[in-house]
Amino acid sequence: MILDLERFQAQGRARWNNLESLLAQLESRPDRRMKPAEAELLQDLYAQTATDLNRVTHGALAPELRQYLERLVARAYAELYYSRPTRSELWQPRRWLSIFTAFPESFRRQSRFFALAVVVTLLGAALGGLAVRYDPAAVDVLLPADYLRNPRLRVGQEEKGQARHTNSTQVEAAFSAELITHNIEVSLLAAGLGVTFGIGTALLLFENGLLLGAVAVRYTQQGFGLFVTAWLLPHGAFEIPSILIAGQAGFYLARLLLRRREDRNMRQSIREWLLLIAGLALMLVWAGLVEAFFSQHHEPVLPYGFKLAVGAAELALLTLYLLLMGRRETVSAAHEAVPADTR
Amino acid sequence: MKPNQPTRLPTRAELTVATPEGVIFRLPLAGPTPRLYAMLLDSAIVLGALNGLGYLIFWIFAKAPGFGAMTITLAEFAIGFAYGALLEGFWNGQTIGKRLFHLRVIDESGLPLRIEQAWVRNLMRVIDALPLAYLVGGISVLSSPIMQRFGDRVAGTLVVRETPLAPPADEAWNRQKYNSFTEYPAVAMCLRRAATPELAGLIQEALRRRNELAPYARREIYRETAAYLQDEIATFPDQLVEMLSDEQYLINAAGVLFGDQRVSHPQR
Repeated sequence: MILDLERFQAQGRARWNNLESLLAQLESRPDRRMKPAEAELLQDLYAQTATDLNRVTHGALAPELRQYLERLVARAYAELYYSRPTRSELWQPRRWLSIFTAFPESFRRQSRFFALAVVVTLLGAALGGLAVRYDPAAVDVLLPADYLRNPRLRVGQEEKGQARHTNSTQVEAAFSAELITHNIEVSLLAAGLGVTFGIGTALLLFENGLLLGAVAVRYTQQGFGLFVTAWLLPHGAFEIPSILIAGQAGFYLARLLLRRREDRNMRQSIREWLLLIAGLALMLVWAGLVEAFFSQHHEPVLPYGFKLAVGAAELALLTLYLLLMGRRETVSAAHEAVPADTR
Repeated sequence: MKPNQPTRLPTRAELTVATPEGVIFRLPLAGPTPRLYAMLLDSAIVLGALNGLGYLIFWIFAKAPGFGAMTITLAEFAIGFAYGALLEGFWNGQTIGKRLFHLRVIDESGLPLRIEQAWVRNLMRVIDALPLAYLVGGISVLSSPIMQRFGDRVAGTLVVRETPLAPPADEAWNRQKYNSFTEYPAVAMCLRRAATPELAGLIQEALRRRNELAPYARREIYRETAAYLQDEIATFPDQLVEMLSDEQYLINAAGVLFGDQRVSHPQR
């Protein structure tokens, strides 16, 4: 049947206007909770307008009226079914500090993806190391930059302080920011490439491992094992785990996207992914500072033994943090809070 | 176009939401073009802000340029991600650019987006911006039935158009007091029965867009439509039709189709 549009609009206009002004009022102050009377009125007007929309959809050719009512219904629906956090809830310091315990918890919950990232990186490292060890020609392919191919030259420069970063604090500061942003960007790429079902993530980790393995073997072959360890360990203790965590986040995302749409718990999963990213970003800030201000100083300024000790201590602290932080509180609670599919 | 005239929505893609109460409504989705414009505007705003900030920082760190550069690099990086994430999170899915282009990011379910979703979709820009000029994101949008870039797919969000809509004004055929077609209820009935929804929609659109059409085009369209109706659908008596302009003919026909349902009872 075709609707008598004129009469229909005349009757409906009053309640549509009411709903519109109520919505404008509610949307303009997202902070406050609805009063019971307001909620009741909203529910009423929503139901009536939804009925009107139904009648227009089925009984009349009035695309503009229909669009108008759809918009109204959509806004009322959003207001009724979603309560956004109030400003005071958002700015609680405790909420933000809880990242420091929530990050290692997520890390442990998704540890199998971390293991996968480690395996892929190790495979890359093994290939890179073996290639350099047994096939000198591979050096030119795997280690594109001159300074990586000729450790002797580089070490000489570094120890004399002739390399890019002479011991100026100013240069180191600028360098640290570059390192931090670059590393975070690469990590985000690894974590985001989960959308390629993890293939991109795996390739990135593999390449990273390849380079690491090749450099390590090349330097060791030429007798600079101690130098390169002391050079890389102080920041590598944080940098390498964080790229592995980025890989973990990437594989986690890939697994999530491979699930059927109905089986995903997007709300939980997104939080988990974000926590991993937030944690690794913080780690990379530390790694960048250490790399610029500490790692670039060599003997005789800093004894290699000291640098190694610092690196080992960092690694130990990080391991303890990731394995133990928040454990006591969560042993019982976490298992109930996290749905089975993310465990 | 007059300001109180509701704008037509050109996009065809839409999200259909079925609420728990069984109400079904559709939300028009935003295509890549307005989103690109909004993003360009946002980028311009961010770049401008960073430039201003840069001068300030250089002035503050005049004695320590290295730390100045460090602060700028970090700020640039952080603001690049946080601008979109924070604004969308706190401003109900809109940045300044999105607000000006009437776009809004919402959850796939039709509800407002949550703060975590805003962060995820903005962090995922790293992927969507690959390899240059948002090529990956653009391809993703065009290949997705609900126009999601990868960031949207992961975060479970989408971008809708929110062109401002005014409540529809009274239609022309509702304003006229007397419809001469009602004097011939049998023919009017015939018209009502034979008119397909497409034909009815055509007549309605032709009348509604009267002022958007150039005079000669309007004359032509009205003449053809009226002739088609008269010849093929419902033949009203010649002595009536001769007195009517083509436009009045269509207004009467629309009145018969959409207007008062008591059309077949002219005595009331």
